[in-house]
Amino acid sequence: MNTVTTNPVLRLSNVAKTFVTPNGSVRALDPVSLDIRQGEFISIIGPSGCGKSTLMNIVGGLLDDYDGEVQVDGVPVRGCHKEIGMVFQEESTFPWRTAIDNVAFPMEATGVPREERLSRAKDLLRLVGLDGFEQRFPSELSGGMRQRIAIARTLAFKPRILLMDEPFAALDEQTRLLLGDKVLQIQQELNQTTMLITHNIAEAVQLSDRVLIMTFRPGRIKQVIDIELPRPRSSKLMGGEKFGHYVAAIWEDLREEATRGLLEMEGARSGS
Amino acid sequence: MAAVEQIGAARPRRKPQFWTVNKLRVVGIVVLVGLWEAAGASGLFFQGVLPSSFLIVKALLSMMVTLDFWNHVGVTATEVLVAFVLGGSTGIAAGLLLGANRYAGDVFEPFIHYLAPTPKIVFLPILLVLFGVGMGSKIALGTVSAFFPMALSVMAGVRQVSPVLLRVGKTFNLTTAQTVRMIYLPALVPPLATGLRIALGISIVGCLLAEYKLAKAGLGYLAGRYYEAFTIAPMLAVLAFIFITAAFGNVLIERLVRLPGPMDRRA
Ligand SMILES: Nc1ncnc2c1ncn2[C@@H]1O[C@H](COP(=O)(O)OP(=O)(O)O)[C@@H](O)[C@H]1O
Ligand SMILES: [Mg+2]
Repeated sequence: MNTVTTNPVLRLSNVAKTFVTPNGSVRALDPVSLDIRQGEFISIIGPSGCGKSTLMNIVGGLLDDYDGEVQVDGVPVRGCHKEIGMVFQEESTFPWRTAIDNVAFPMEATGVPREERLSRAKDLLRLVGLDGFEQRFPSELSGGMRQRIAIARTLAFKPRILLMDEPFAALDEQTRLLLGDKVLQIQQELNQTTMLITHNIAEAVQLSDRVLIMTFRPGRIKQVIDIELPRPRSSKLMGGEKFGHYVAAIWEDLREEATRGLLEMEGARSGS
Repeated sequence: MAAVEQIGAARPRRKPQFWTVNKLRVVGIVVLVGLWEAAGASGLFFQGVLPSSFLIVKALLSMMVTLDFWNHVGVTATEVLVAFVLGGSTGIAAGLLLGANRYAGDVFEPFIHYLAPTPKIVFLPILLVLFGVGMGSKIALGTVSAFFPMALSVMAGVRQVSPVLLRVGKTFNLTTAQTVRMIYLPALVPPLATGLRIALGISIVGCLLAEYKLAKAGLGYLAGRYYEAFTIAPMLAVLAFIFITAAFGNVLIERLVRLPGPMDRRA
């Protein structure tokens, strides 16, 4: 069921952030305004350091001190919202918990009975392709497998809004494609509103309804591209002509920003 | 999902090579005892400085049937236990406070850092005046000794709790109590275990040193008396007894504060 209501689930109005550090202030994010519909899948793509993680941390309620406003269902939020789940860019599994106990973590916190949370965690592990690894500790698994545990753990929280910060960066290309299909399937089943941060253009096209391209620092939304590919989608789309067209269009916009980023990095290296 | 499973294989669990490891340990002990015996028999050292291990065991056995020996053991054990508990618990409390509270950390951390490596025996004269020649001064020295390593490892442990894990807790709306119970405590198990083991060892050292210097009872006092009489075998027997008991204490702590999983190999 894909009810598309007109009221946005998530609304960002002029959200901006300047970090104040002892060495001066860093403008990480110029004002960003954005409406996201229920069940919509949007991707944010942009060069490193353009403020993508900052934006996600603001929406997820982990950064309080910002300008502008974030609304969920029309209500302004400050702090972590019960219906927003996040998957982080960094390693985030609990090293002292087995795979299944990691996934059961949010259910343990909300008091779901042991039997039930373990059986649900087992289902979620199967969903991300970790059948048979329930009793393994994160240190016994590869980086990609740990990231899949983190994704399953966030899904166990049953968030209505899912924020993911480069969740597939540690995965090899094939796993990335297959897991992307899985995430898409879950997202469509649950009609979950999803915001995905990525570096990967093909991934953005494969998964999204809309792709937002951000400028180099300070980040702002440079271009919004609607991806009008039929749903349900899968990685099989990738060969198609339309797919290639979208990838090329996004790269056209992104190239300029990436080049600016590269130049600035080189300038900083030789300048100092 | 079979395809996904095959990609990115799990690291194999390390199989403990039980027999090989234990065999090597036994071989190591045998070699050490052999070297000891050879050195004693070689005539390179004063006679009696390196008595045969047979003589040491004999001395230990004949000591262990006397009530006097067990009185000394009781005195030292009491001192060490009290010192370990006092120094350990205050160390944990201080470590938690200094680790979690930036302000307290800024103020007191230098003291702890500079005092920690100082040999605590320098405090003994003061402690003797304050707590007397009896068990009090020994307990005090053991407590002071145990406090520092405990405080340091807990403080470092609190600071090293990964900020990402704390953010994960936040996004799941954990209460403060849940954050402590579900994130801080499990994350602190390894530094706690390390701190406790070092604290036990060093509180034993503290108590024994204090006994050796000035006391009326205890194993340190006993070893010192044998040494002064140049009866080396019984002195070494006392030391061997201390060594073996301390090793068991370490194993006990390791069992009690069992690590919940392999935590050391993080990518
Ligand atoms: N806590 C912070 N303090 C100071 N500067 C920060 C902080 N977090 C991020 N920044 C800066 O803000 C900019 C955007 O960072 P980030 O949002 O992580 O970028 P991205 O995720 O797009 O790579 C970077 O220049 C970064 O150095
Ligand atoms: Mg980032």
